[in-house]
Amino acid sequence: MIDNGLLVQMLIGALLGVSVYLPLAAGQLSLATPAFYAVGGTLAALLSTSWPALGAGADGSFPLASFLLELLLGGLLAGGLALLVGRLVLRLQGIYLAIATIALVEIVRVAILNLPFTGGAIGIFSIPQPFPTAAGYLLPALGLLALAGWVCQRLEVMPLGRAMAAVRHDELAAGCMGIDTTRVKLTAFVLSAVLAGSTGALAAHFLLNTWNARQGSFDTAVTMLAFVILGGSRSWLGPVVGGLLLTALPELLRPVGDGRLVLFGLVILLGPVLFPQGLITPGLLERLGGPLQPGSWFRRGGSAP
Amino acid sequence: MSHPTDGSDRSGAAAAGTPLLEVRELTCRFGGLVALDHVSFAVQPGEIFGLIGPNGAGKTTLYNLISGLTPPTSGAVLWRGAPITGLPPFRRNRLGLARTFQNLRLFDGLTVHDNLLVALRRQPGESLLEGLLASAGHRRAERQRLEQTGQLLEELGLEALANRPAGTLAYGDRRRLEIARALATRPTLLLLDEPAAGMNPAEKDDLCDLIRQLRSRHQLTVMVIEHHVPLLMRLCNRMAVLDFGERIALGTPVQVRHDPRVIEAYLGGNPP
Repeated sequence: MIDNGLLVQMLIGALLGVSVYLPLAAGQLSLATPAFYAVGGTLAALLSTSWPALGAGADGSFPLASFLLELLLGGLLAGGLALLVGRLVLRLQGIYLAIATIALVEIVRVAILNLPFTGGAIGIFSIPQPFPTAAGYLLPALGLLALAGWVCQRLEVMPLGRAMAAVRHDELAAGCMGIDTTRVKLTAFVLSAVLAGSTGALAAHFLLNTWNARQGSFDTAVTMLAFVILGGSRSWLGPVVGGLLLTALPELLRPVGDGRLVLFGLVILLGPVLFPQGLITPGLLERLGGPLQPGSWFRRGGSAP
Repeated sequence: MSHPTDGSDRSGAAAAGTPLLEVRELTCRFGGLVALDHVSFAVQPGEIFGLIGPNGAGKTTLYNLISGLTPPTSGAVLWRGAPITGLPPFRRNRLGLARTFQNLRLFDGLTVHDNLLVALRRQPGESLLEGLLASAGHRRAERQRLEQTGQLLEELGLEALANRPAGTLAYGDRRRLEIARALATRPTLLLLDEPAAGMNPAEKDDLCDLIRQLRSRHQLTVMVIEHHVPLLMRLCNRMAVLDFGERIALGTPVQVRHDPRVIEAYLGGNPP
């Protein structure tokens, strides 16, 4: 049922879910994650196939250090792009921001489709593999997810994370309390892009040797949003659970045949009806207690009277 | 972004005589409606300055112009003598200007404690990286924050409610939390927008005492919008009266009380 390949895909889904969650934690509905994912992936595909210094072997092997370097570069490029684009699009709010970021996804998709060096509709193929089997990707994917989770969990007890929550609740009041709301939103947007870009670089190697423009499309954006809606948007664990589940579901339903897409649609439809706050709610985390409780890290101990 | 006030602060232009806040010929039109019409006055450091006027006189609009939420149609806002008319709200807050909201804008989903933590100024040791790594500097800054919020909670009698979401608080507690949150930004000028709304006479007396206490303890200058005239008469050093966007009177409570235009605005006069 669940083999290593699917597990890696599920982890990639969870990573992308967290990437959608980050701007949302600052109250910004951005669907730009697939664009940054595509940018990171394309960069990794290009570098590994056409930059000999990275050490791609003739037998399709690839050094681990170069792979990790690509994760870093993919994240940096996506983050840099987000810094430029964010200044512009974050002036918009609510549904207008969502539409503008969908436009960004389309621009990146069409650009990758038509640029002379990205391989057109076929894409970039013969991407070398740092690991001989899918199982090898488990560790880097888990590592990336652990890093993202660490950042999100730390944010809860940091000025930036609190400022994000304030902007989400009332942007105007946050501004009057001395919070540079533009900067807070931009930081969340850039963090989201860095994560998506690194995830893209990982996926470019993992996804069966080819990388093309289809990787980041409007459909992907909607699926990623579904991760957050089903999983819940009040904790980073929500999109992780949503991403894992919704990536696995179509595969697990494969025995059902073509009906599986109907069932998949039903789950997305019924999820918000049955779990309006998502599967992972603050109440649930509180009951579970432990270190994943929102804001539990050395806040309560200090001053709670 | 330019800091028009930085230079003047350092050159000592804020010495005696310069008002802390000055509004000059401030006008604000919304379409055909003139919400404020060439309003001018100055607030001196350390005073409690009242702002009264009938409903719709433009009091809250004036606050919005001072705190930067609404751009004026014309006129200027000066902070220690330097214009701040173009600055966004967060920069004005960092200069030392904090406000509360008439219709309460707390971060309802956050706890009382978090509402205060959000408003605290950034300190050294709070860069993104130091925070992520929980560096020693960050932990020290965090302890200082907890001390500051603890003090504010105590001062405003909110300790018992610290871990409750702000949205679940009773009305009076929410009003006090708004004041506490504004104080957490360490202002020199506190703008209170109808802090006594919905309070009974005894609570209003308590509020008067509280405002005086806070002023002396935090070296504040206070501006108060209030409908309840007797309360302002007792509390304020000076006051301005707005009516239909015009400043019709300015002076000590006694002067204002005997001003014929104020009596006309409040009790009604002969139509012109």
